[in-house]
Amino acid sequence: MLGKSKGVNKGDEVAFSPGLAAEKTVIGKHITIKGGILGKEDLIINGSVKGSIQLDGCHLTVGPAGKVEGEISAQNVTISGRLSGNIKALDKVEITKEADFDGEIKAKRISVEDGAYLKAVIELEKEPDKKAMPADKSAEQTTPGSDREPLTLVKETDKGK
Amino acid sequence: MSSLAHSHGASSNFEADQVNYTSSVLHLFIEALERRQKAQVLDLGPVCGENIDFFVRRVQRLYVCDMFIRLDRNRRKGVPSSWAWRQIDYPPQSFDGILLWDLVDHLNDREVMGLVELCRNIVKPSGIIAVFVLGAKAFSNTVNSFVIRDGLRLHLRPQPHLELPLHVRQNREVLSLFTPFTPIRSFIYRNGLREFLFRLD
Repeated sequence: MLGKSKGVNKGDEVAFSPGLAAEKTVIGKHITIKGGILGKEDLIINGSVKGSIQLDGCHLTVGPAGKVEGEISAQNVTISGRLSGNIKALDKVEITKEADFDGEIKAKRISVEDGAYLKAVIELEKEPDKKAMPADKSAEQTTPGSDREPLTLVKETDKGK
Repeated sequence: MSSLAHSHGASSNFEADQVNYTSSVLHLFIEALERRQKAQVLDLGPVCGENIDFFVRRVQRLYVCDMFIRLDRNRRKGVPSSWAWRQIDYPPQSFDGILLWDLVDHLNDREVMGLVELCRNIVKPSGIIAVFVLGAKAFSNTVNSFVIRDGLRLHLRPQPHLELPLHVRQNREVLSLFTPFTPIRSFIYRNGLREFLFRLD
């Protein structure tokens, strides 16, 4: 089914005005859509979509039964199902343990749960005034007698010597 | 060459959740990448959020391809594990660095040689490979992810959804399997873990 939910009681009338933060559309698990989707409200996909999805300032969720093939552009993206394609999120991409993702991710933040299958290229949208963090120099400090102290086995071994 | 360890389940003497140490190889790996322009790194899993967050802030592009899950799925389906290598379909000389974590611990020698050959093809000249090996203390088949926290400290986090065989190897066996590469440094820790850094010359 293709439905609307607003977190309201059954029988309440759902307004279809765009931009309402709590409003969301659900693509049911028996629905297949071939073609692009453009919108300004949150979308939950439990069915199948082949085509690009653009949700300005909104949240796209691919549910555990959802399958999407296409380019995604949204404010936030949560993947619990299968997604093959590239994601551009203005804020956060969340990948849960049920997810199966193949594609590129560009976002400001990303979280991944253990168990998710990923074949991905990930690029963080870096904020202009923040430089890449250097390696932690404290790692060089070791405590004798603890797990931290490594014993060097091989040093600058030259092949063929 | 390697010996196959049997699962001791919960009675294992390997307390993964107590492993917590500063990784020297990770430090060298990051240092080397920071000297390179627009570094591209491939992490072959197990993929975890903390490590993605760590590397994505330090490299131009982070590639992740979780071979652990792929191998586990193939094993459950009865598909040859070698089919999993099809996932590593990147163009030649793509990466400045490759993270193998303890993937070799869960592969037989022939599979490791196949993996090493693939890595040789996709790493750039002077590119580096970080390899982690659990060592003889790890007599448990539980797969762990190496989680980076608090700078360059590594914690092991069990991944009970993954079931893969464990192959225990001596250091010389690991070095021998990676002969296409030059060993740069290796370390052994009191917790039994061993780390290797290799370079393609």
